[in-house]
Amino acid sequence: MMKFVTRRVLQAIPVLLGVTVVVYAILLAAPGGPEAKFAQNPRITQAQKDSFRKAWGLDQPIPIQYGRWMGILNPSGEGLGVLIGPAGLPNFLPTPLSGATNGVLHGDFGYSIDSGEPVSNRIIRAALPTFILAGTALVLWIVVAIVLGVYAAIHRYSLFDQGATVFAYVGYAMPTFWLGIMLIFAFSGPGLNILPAGGMTETRISPPFGSPEYWVYFGSNTPQALGDIAKHLVLPVITLVVVNIAGDSRFVRASMLESLGQDYVRTARAKGLPARTVNFKHALRNALLPVVTNIGLEIPFLFTGAIVTETIFSWPGIGKLTIDATRDFDYPILMGVLLVTSVMVVLANLLADILYGVIDPRIKY
Amino acid sequence: MTAAAATTGASTPHSDGDRLLDVRNMQTRFHVMDGVVPAVDGVSFTLDRGRTLGIVGESGSGKSVTALTIMRLLDIPPAEIGAGSEAWFDGRDLLALSESEMRKVRGKDIAMIFQEPLTSLNPVFTVGAQIAEQVQTHLHVRAREAWSRVVEMLRLVGIPSPERRAKQYPHELSGGMRQRVMIAMALSCEPKLLIADEPTTALDVTVQAQILELLKTIQQRTGSALIMITHDLGVIAETVDDVIVMYAGQVVEQGSVADVLLEPRMPYTMGLIESIPTVEKRGGRLSAISGVVPSPFHLPPACRFEPRCPYAWDTCRDRMPDLSVTRDAERHARCHLHVAGAASRLEAAVSQHRQNMRVGRQLTDSV
Repeated sequence: MMKFVTRRVLQAIPVLLGVTVVVYAILLAAPGGPEAKFAQNPRITQAQKDSFRKAWGLDQPIPIQYGRWMGILNPSGEGLGVLIGPAGLPNFLPTPLSGATNGVLHGDFGYSIDSGEPVSNRIIRAALPTFILAGTALVLWIVVAIVLGVYAAIHRYSLFDQGATVFAYVGYAMPTFWLGIMLIFAFSGPGLNILPAGGMTETRISPPFGSPEYWVYFGSNTPQALGDIAKHLVLPVITLVVVNIAGDSRFVRASMLESLGQDYVRTARAKGLPARTVNFKHALRNALLPVVTNIGLEIPFLFTGAIVTETIFSWPGIGKLTIDATRDFDYPILMGVLLVTSVMVVLANLLADILYGVIDPRIKY
Repeated sequence: MTAAAATTGASTPHSDGDRLLDVRNMQTRFHVMDGVVPAVDGVSFTLDRGRTLGIVGESGSGKSVTALTIMRLLDIPPAEIGAGSEAWFDGRDLLALSESEMRKVRGKDIAMIFQEPLTSLNPVFTVGAQIAEQVQTHLHVRAREAWSRVVEMLRLVGIPSPERRAKQYPHELSGGMRQRVMIAMALSCEPKLLIADEPTTALDVTVQAQILELLKTIQQRTGSALIMITHDLGVIAETVDDVIVMYAGQVVEQGSVADVLLEPRMPYTMGLIESIPTVEKRGGRLSAISGVVPSPFHLPPACRFEPRCPYAWDTCRDRMPDLSVTRDAERHARCHLHVAGAASRLEAAVSQHRQNMRVGRQLTDSV
């Protein structure tokens, strides 16, 4: 098992290096570039544009730019000196050795053009809200999808099953942005004005979420603060779970139906076991094998969140960070988010594989 | 269609106290997309305690469905059990029991062994746990006692180091070993009736013989009755006392195994026996029954075997024959050859069969 995990982690390294190249290439191919944000601003002079390009290294050849982003090259070096970090050792070594910052290999993913902070700070700050929203949604939709799918499979073609099928088709087909707006329309505006339309906290009562002042407020008013977040979670969570329950409940239903049709289920019935044991022990245990793998693959969602939903509900998470960065031509942020997402996907795949080996006695690593 | 109801074939002269199973006019239909399939159509037979009965027939003849109907393991719908069907077991009609009563019968009084032991065992539980579960359900014993019963049963079916094997998963055992586990499971609650549905079909030939031998010795030791469902006449010859032959959902012949195999009285049975390849017939063409099994949607209106029967005449196309007593007592055949006035035709059929069989002596040896 350890050997398998080690091998898979080592295999991930070249994959992730490839990902950095692809991420860089994709954003390079996109029209614009960081300086595009000045395109519509007549007050910016050519000299100012040039100094911007020089400051962010945009005047350098592309391999050099990539090297700087990765943290292999030192932006302040000259000639071959670009390879040497501030501490006199090769620049690509970890920060404590090389003294270098400003790069993927140094963990800060460079600096945000917009705010000048390390990209990692911005990502970490946005990660908690996303984790809260996506985590709540993920747990809820998995539980509901399993219950719904299993029940529908056991009572196949019943009224409940038909209803679940209709819900799945409608839910799956409904665009998130439309559902989100309709929910706001119904519950926080013209209809019932009972839930907040956006944000994560009531800004009139509490300091902005994530700021040091907020945590002071959170410490002294924990129940109210949690209740406030919960209230803000309702609509975005509903928006997220509908489409995902629709998809996953179908998956669970199909898996459970397949399991119920197996010979060992007939054996279990022939043994005289109660229907409950046959369904929930013999069939469900097998039906959940592919479902668990599927859940493992959905885990990156905890980080990436949902761009559309976060934007609609002004949720200060990764999705909103991505959209804001796109609007502001903040390339380092975009590349950072894309790269971290890729790492999450690779890790989730590994986790799914390991999990599968744990729950299925037939799989041995 | 219900003609068979008239004859509840008693092939052995035992008293009613010995009677374990009495199936009367069983009808099982499947409602499918294209219509209704009469999978079992008026089947009747009896089985006494401790006796063995073979059910032979081709795929689709209704032999497995007969067993699944007795066990009430078919999903209803799409299956439908016809009104008037009865399956008396130990004084109770199984088909009239409530589901919870039936659950106490399954695995306890009647146990079943299936064809494919790998898929019939749950891959994610150890074999010991799967047997223990049944023991605990029916015998209401503690986990520790159930486990010692598991080990005892695995030892009984000839599994070496049963303590270790009980903790293994099905995929860690060989095919023959898995079928032994299935047998141990079936016998764990000392059933009065064991139904084996093609128990050796998925196994290697050498393992087949071992499993049959095991079933026979265990059946003799425990005294349970056995229904052996198979398409393999060799298996029948080696394991059972009585046999019923099924064709297109009906019983077409029944009697003692020696009578049916050596002196078949129904052209379908004759054809089945003639088509067994033997060493003596090596080099020649394999003989086969001409034609194909009729589609369940387009059954012949009268005798269902008539389109394939070499001895059929006008009567066979006019009405369906009853499963009636033949001139040899204790035997039943569903064939017009046995009505009065067809004596010469029967004579011709029998002598033709003898001629076809003159080189094949192998069955004589095994009976």
